[in-house]
Amino acid sequence: MATSEKGIVRMKGIHISFPGVKALEDVDFTLKKGEIHALLGENGAGKSTLIKVLTGVEHQSKGTIEIDGKEISIKSPQHAQALGISTVYQEVNLCPNLTVAENIMIGRAPMKLGSIDWAATDDQANRLLKELDVHIDVTQTLGSYSVAIQQMAAIARALEISSARILILDEPTSSLTTHETEQLFSVMRKLRSEGMAIIFITHFLDQVYEIADRITVLRNGRLVGTYDTASMPRLELIAKMIGRTLTELDDMSKLKLESGKLIRGEALLKAKDLGQTGSIEPFDLELHAGEVVGLAGLLGSGRTEMAQLLFGVEKPDSGSITMDGATVESFSPLESIERGVALCPEDRKAAGILGDLTVRENIILALQASRGWIKYLSSSEQNEIADKYIKILNIVTPSSNQLVKNLSGGNQQKVILARWLATNPRLLIMDEPTRGIDVGTKAEIQKLVLSLAEEGKSCMFISSELEEVLRTSHRIVVLRNKEKVTEFSGEVAERKIMQLMAGSE
Amino acid sequence: MRQPKSAFDWRRVTESRLFFPIVALALVLLFDLIFVRGFFAIEAREGNLYGNVIDILRSGSTVILLALGMTLVIATGGVDLSVGAVMAIAASIAALMMNPYVMAKELPENLQKLVGDPNFTYAPLWAVLMVTLIVSAFCGLWNGLLVAYGKIQPMVGTLILMIAGRGIAQLITNGIRIQIFYEPYAFIGNGWVILPFPLYIVILVFTLLWLFTRKTSIGLFIESVGVNARSSFFSGIDEKKIKLLAYTLCGLFAGMAGVLASANIKTSDANNIGWALELDAILAVVIGGTLMSGGRFSLLASVIGALVMQATTTSMYAIGVPANAVLAVKGVVVILVLLLYSEQARNLLRRIAVQQKEA
Amino acid sequence: MKLNINASIANNRRFIPVVATAVLFIIAYSIGAGFYQGMRDPQVFLNLFRTSPFLLIAAIGGTFVILTGGIDLSVSGLVALTTVAASALIRAGWDPWVVILLMLVMGMTMGTILGAFITYMKVQPFIATLAGLWFARGMCFFISDDAIAVDNRVYKILSQTRILIPGLSDPTKKEGAYISLLVVVALVVLALAVYIAHYTRFGRTIYAIGGNEQSARLMGLPVNSTKVLVYTLAGFCSALAGLTLNIYVGSGHGLYATGFELTVIAAVVMGGTMLSGGSGYVLGTLFGVLVLGVTQTLIQFNGMLSSWWTNIVVGALTLIFIGLQSFLAARKVQAVGGERKQEGLAEMLRRSRKMLLYSGGVIVAILLIIVGVNAFMPNIPTKCTLKPFQQEKAAALVEGGAVVVYEHNGGSNCVDELYAIYPGGKITAEEGANRLEKQATSDDIEELLSGINALGWFTDTLYSTEHEPCGQCFTFFLTVSDQGQVKTVKAVNGGTDTPPAYWKVIALIDEIIPHFGAP
Repeated sequence: MATSEKGIVRMKGIHISFPGVKALEDVDFTLKKGEIHALLGENGAGKSTLIKVLTGVEHQSKGTIEIDGKEISIKSPQHAQALGISTVYQEVNLCPNLTVAENIMIGRAPMKLGSIDWAATDDQANRLLKELDVHIDVTQTLGSYSVAIQQMAAIARALEISSARILILDEPTSSLTTHETEQLFSVMRKLRSEGMAIIFITHFLDQVYEIADRITVLRNGRLVGTYDTASMPRLELIAKMIGRTLTELDDMSKLKLESGKLIRGEALLKAKDLGQTGSIEPFDLELHAGEVVGLAGLLGSGRTEMAQLLFGVEKPDSGSITMDGATVESFSPLESIERGVALCPEDRKAAGILGDLTVRENIILALQASRGWIKYLSSSEQNEIADKYIKILNIVTPSSNQLVKNLSGGNQQKVILARWLATNPRLLIMDEPTRGIDVGTKAEIQKLVLSLAEEGKSCMFISSELEEVLRTSHRIVVLRNKEKVTEFSGEVAERKIMQLMAGSE
Repeated sequence: MRQPKSAFDWRRVTESRLFFPIVALALVLLFDLIFVRGFFAIEAREGNLYGNVIDILRSGSTVILLALGMTLVIATGGVDLSVGAVMAIAASIAALMMNPYVMAKELPENLQKLVGDPNFTYAPLWAVLMVTLIVSAFCGLWNGLLVAYGKIQPMVGTLILMIAGRGIAQLITNGIRIQIFYEPYAFIGNGWVILPFPLYIVILVFTLLWLFTRKTSIGLFIESVGVNARSSFFSGIDEKKIKLLAYTLCGLFAGMAGVLASANIKTSDANNIGWALELDAILAVVIGGTLMSGGRFSLLASVIGALVMQATTTSMYAIGVPANAVLAVKGVVVILVLLLYSEQARNLLRRIAVQQKEA
Repeated sequence: MKLNINASIANNRRFIPVVATAVLFIIAYSIGAGFYQGMRDPQVFLNLFRTSPFLLIAAIGGTFVILTGGIDLSVSGLVALTTVAASALIRAGWDPWVVILLMLVMGMTMGTILGAFITYMKVQPFIATLAGLWFARGMCFFISDDAIAVDNRVYKILSQTRILIPGLSDPTKKEGAYISLLVVVALVVLALAVYIAHYTRFGRTIYAIGGNEQSARLMGLPVNSTKVLVYTLAGFCSALAGLTLNIYVGSGHGLYATGFELTVIAAVVMGGTMLSGGSGYVLGTLFGVLVLGVTQTLIQFNGMLSSWWTNIVVGALTLIFIGLQSFLAARKVQAVGGERKQEGLAEMLRRSRKMLLYSGGVIVAILLIIVGVNAFMPNIPTKCTLKPFQQEKAAALVEGGAVVVYEHNGGSNCVDELYAIYPGGKITAEEGANRLEKQATSDDIEELLSGINALGWFTDTLYSTEHEPCGQCFTFFLTVSDQGQVKTVKAVNGGTDTPPAYWKVIALIDEIIPHFGAP
């Protein structure tokens, strides 16, 4: 298909930062007419921020945006819509209580004699959906249909309004079955053939190779590169996403894990056939004192789900956990903490910090919870603990009375880590503990993890940066597609790990 | 970047959580100072102190108790609309336990005289109080179950007891306004030991609650649940149990307020006791600075907030506003307070403060 | 095409709450008609409408507000304020039509102000409308402390016009089943509301906001202006409801409609509209109002249950409706991984089992306490027996020259007071063994009689109503003999169809007769 080199959308040198966090740094992005362009990157890489800039939700501090060759400043979501940019989010932004037809047409429903012409509305909606090859009863409420159909309705609405020329699909396939994904893809292909430019954000590499023409990879707020799908082998793509170059890989054919210093104790926790339907397939895992186990896997491989299952956030659907020889009967974070297990969660905003509380309160919270409500830590005890970890982790804060929401992202992360260290756990699970932290502190934390193991603790280290995982672990567990693939210890070929992560043999 | 010492102190004062409520109270009292002659006069009679200010403390004690319980509930991100109805239930039970004969149609002469005797009570005072408070706590427990375990929206869940509670109170007393003659009970609301007796009760209850929330980790847990229930969950705090506790305590305090109120007017009036007081309580908490979305709370600030509400009412009476019309003034006060506390106002004040700092 | 019942149920699932209420209404009414003879009179059914146009109108306004996910507590204050302000203005001589218009404008203004606070200053609707309630009610008392009576031709026509139902009445004799003009107004408002809700952009935006406000904004809908307008509409309805009430009772007072906002909410909720917004039908509110009405009627006809059982029943019904709605709505659980998980039936049962267990435990505990307390209580007979009516004696008194004979029978103490007023000014009162006498002037009696006449005693506007007295109700017999005419009218308080003027007559008489101790 003939596409102009200039592209329909051209973003150059986009800079944007939020308090304490550089979200995007010098990012270029070009989108051509009539193409499906995949946008890849781990959590925190900057994908959603880039889209927010394009859709007028955020404004870049530096850099330009050109649409059809004209430089333009996108003022608001309404403005973006008027320019022909439409977005369908994973959380379908429609009203589930209204009918499908109404959702598609609302705000521009055909009127007759001053009142809404329902017959015409339904007809119009039907027509639009037929173009997408969707045949449903449009008079039913949107909420009564599956997410796949809801997405189709959202796309139909996007097409209806201001004849969209640019369609952004944000993780559309996460809740779809294989069949529904196929249907979505055929719709996408049809739109592409009509000249629509589509940005496809996803973490499913298989799908990228199935449908995308070009791929843009972001990492840590910077552009890694834009490539033609056809000329980018899967392995190389993975390398780009996790920050390695293939030549580097060729050079380090074998890597010896830190097994030298390992003094492996008895098994602290044994998981057998542990699984949760829809989240992670049943797996076996043993965690030993004095050992660091690293989880390697791409986004969506089930890393967080495994960690949370081990921490007892939910009752597993299958299998069992044995600790100290006894089977675990009840599952809750509190009980895990009392058993000496700690989880430093991945999503620090939603599951981690308590923004309106002080640094000190955040740090002692889990410890206090495990002590119960009567044995309240005195002020001096609290200050002692807080000060200790502020020092150890080098937390930058004017005082321990500072509200956590005022700290930078990296320091917030350290506060959460401090909270879990303060509980003096026997098993510490860390899910992306170094995200958003500066390079220097990253190294400190990696060293800290290893020293915890030397003290006799058991650690589980999860990170999307494979290099980190390799440097910090005694043993590596590889995950892919919500399944535990295999384990490695001793000598390991990094290339092999990546192949397993990517699923390309 | 050295700042003059006075400017620094001033900022700390304005940022303290007690700042706004104290300012509000000061404004009301200032109004009194200017417009009402002799408002602050205190006279001593027979060893007891009387005066408008004393009166504010006395009549405000009911709302203070309600506000204390309400603070905990609001701190968890909820609200309890049923406190007025629980007051009515408590008052009804208490009155009935002291004088069950009021239900009889025909009373023999000797019983008639006995019932009116200020020393007579059918059930001993300790039993009356204990049963009343236990039932009130159970009402709070019921609310807590609906909200925490049934996951019903707090406003919706407590609305039910608000509607049905009055009916239950009336059912208990069969619609009769039971008069209370028993002197020791009436003393709770009416007595004076230099200062009005309710004041001592309030001080005692406040102290106990303060110890309970601040000398144990309960206060921290409540604030934690209110700020971010999910993060609290990951940290090992059971949101459900904390909310249940908050609502139960709120019910308990409403029961206490019901006892105070009925002791004060020596009647249990199922229809009117506590009428619209839940709104006063909520406002007291809001004035005190606790956000309705939950989080940090300050018991003392809520007490001050309750005093602001009460002082406003008393001031209105003092300048001769007809009783029922005071409601209109309260409505305006609410709006003013909310405007003051709104995002826009806070942003404006913050900008002014920053400008001052840079000056 | 096969008729698939399952499919049609699934397709129309969203109508279930409304249908449930309608069915409940039909069942309740049928049970009542089965048990109580009096309920089979079609007029009783029509009275359900006749006595609740204000509730219906106010609840319609409330429905729109609740559909957006908000709430309006200012209803009762605005209603009361309207009655007082309107009465005051008419008393001052203003033209009633101008007054009506002015009141509606006042309602809309207040609604708009509240809406602005809620939308732009982000004040919680609960608190903002609460402040509005206080303000409105307080303002009533700035206007007047006492009730203001309205004496106006237009008002009289509006309240007294009977519209006979074809087929159930006899137009020539002007008798039979009827509804009043105010009911027609309410039904017109209902029809307009249905139109607005389903055929205008405004109405559909309301539903969208309730469904997902953020999505509505992203979809480009005028969310802010719609939110403000919804409260304007509610203010209009509250004012209109106030006018209806004002016309119906012919007076205005700041204490009218206390607790009304709760009744409105109950009616809306029982009509199938969820308090969380976005789901519900205006027509359902009609059924909600009817269910409330039938509840009250049933309790009245039963007579055994005291009238505050209404509160408990309403509370219980509201609980069932709200509880079920919220419970079902909480099914969409935010699962731990960040993905949405639909709470499975098993999990829902598990959650419900725990909650039911604990709630059941609490209820059992409360019941145990009440039983225990009761056991402590001495054995007391709690009910008295009603004394028989003394109407033969009343007739004899009239024969003996009394111009007014008034019997006041019933109440929780089962009293039976008989008063006789003579033209010379003598007034006698009898209650069991007690006797009172009072001497008034013959002028006083003249004034009383002309007042009673002016209220239309000897016309059709005052008629007897037949009711079984409820547990706490009084039965009032009033015989007036004047200028050769003698007429007795019987009424039971709590009877919803008693002509309002009757109570005005009783009020006049109450002023002049001596009373036995504390009421």
